[in-house]
Amino acid sequence: MPRTPNAARAWQRGAGTLLIALGAALLLAAGTSAARAMLARDLARARWAEIEAERAAAGGRLAAKKAAREGIARGTPVARLLVSRLDLDEVIVEGVGDVELYAGPGHMIGSALPGERGNSVVSAHRDRHFRSLGEVVVGDTIRTESDAGDVVWTVMRVRVVSANTPVLRSSRTPLLTLTTCWPIRYFGSAPDRLIVEAVPIG
Amino acid sequence: MTKTISFAVLAALLTVGAVRADAQITTVIAPPKPAPAKQLEVARRQEAARDSVARVTLTDMKEWVDSAAASLALRPDTAGAPADTGVAAPAPPTERSDARTTRDAPRQEAPAGEFREGGRAPDTATMLPTLALAGGVVMVLGFALRRRAARSAVRARH
Repeated sequence: MPRTPNAARAWQRGAGTLLIALGAALLLAAGTSAARAMLARDLARARWAEIEAERAAAGGRLAAKKAAREGIARGTPVARLLVSRLDLDEVIVEGVGDVELYAGPGHMIGSALPGERGNSVVSAHRDRHFRSLGEVVVGDTIRTESDAGDVVWTVMRVRVVSANTPVLRSSRTPLLTLTTCWPIRYFGSAPDRLIVEAVPIG
Repeated sequence: MTKTISFAVLAALLTVGAVRADAQITTVIAPPKPAPAKQLEVARRQEAARDSVARVTLTDMKEWVDSAAASLALRPDTAGAPADTGVAAPAPPTERSDARTTRDAPRQEAPAGEFREGGRAPDTATMLPTLALAGGVVMVLGFALRRRAARSAVRARH
């Protein structure tokens, strides 16, 4: 440790510079991550617009649906999710891995597509695409567009459960389950999950 | 005071800069001794015998798979259970063409990322807020240290 005042000042300056550089590197990493997420989101939106155009050009959903049955790669846009009251408009991509969730809410592989018979599970980051999901209330209207058709849903249940709680269940009727981490504003790994369940109306 | 700041800086560096140290284990594998020609000949014959047995087995497997596929193709589709029986029919194993995703997608993700009955909601937390907060705190600490050093220098001159 420095014993003279000059040495102490030099040590403080050096440590301060080091900390500033380290902090800048951390902020740069966070900024890069956020920029990558925005870029991936824009790409997913552009791809979804292309898919919609191809579908229209092919003369309807049937052809697109047949093609989709042959295989959906991870990260491929599969649906669109809109909650007008929350100003939420996101393109859902296939898979809930880290890479997919950069681009948008992820459709859990093995679950139904929104509008198909069964439980359709969609998850997203609480600090990105589902930032506003914490404000959803029972009775809110959700709209989805996918190969299974355009569906209007109503929120029937909103609950917060522990991260280890088994919440995924099969359904014989169309069911939409949106999940994200809870609390929405929280540093580190969130201890709970926000589960929003909606059923089709009309 | 300097000691306190030193401890604070050290703690911050240890917290933020901690990384996993991967161990690397190396060893030396001695080359095998050359086998005598007679032993090599015996080994070659044994290998040829095993190869022929494997071919026979594989042929049988192919016939078995073909027959199984044919019987499955002839089986009537029972997925659409009648709704007016009064008894809830069991749900079909897959309510959509699940096989297309599970078969075609590479198995890089943990099973937790795929839908299963009684599964948990996926972990969607990111390190972004933590990174930003840590970066901000460390930068503020750095600026505070430099400012303290500058003030100390000014006081020393006076």
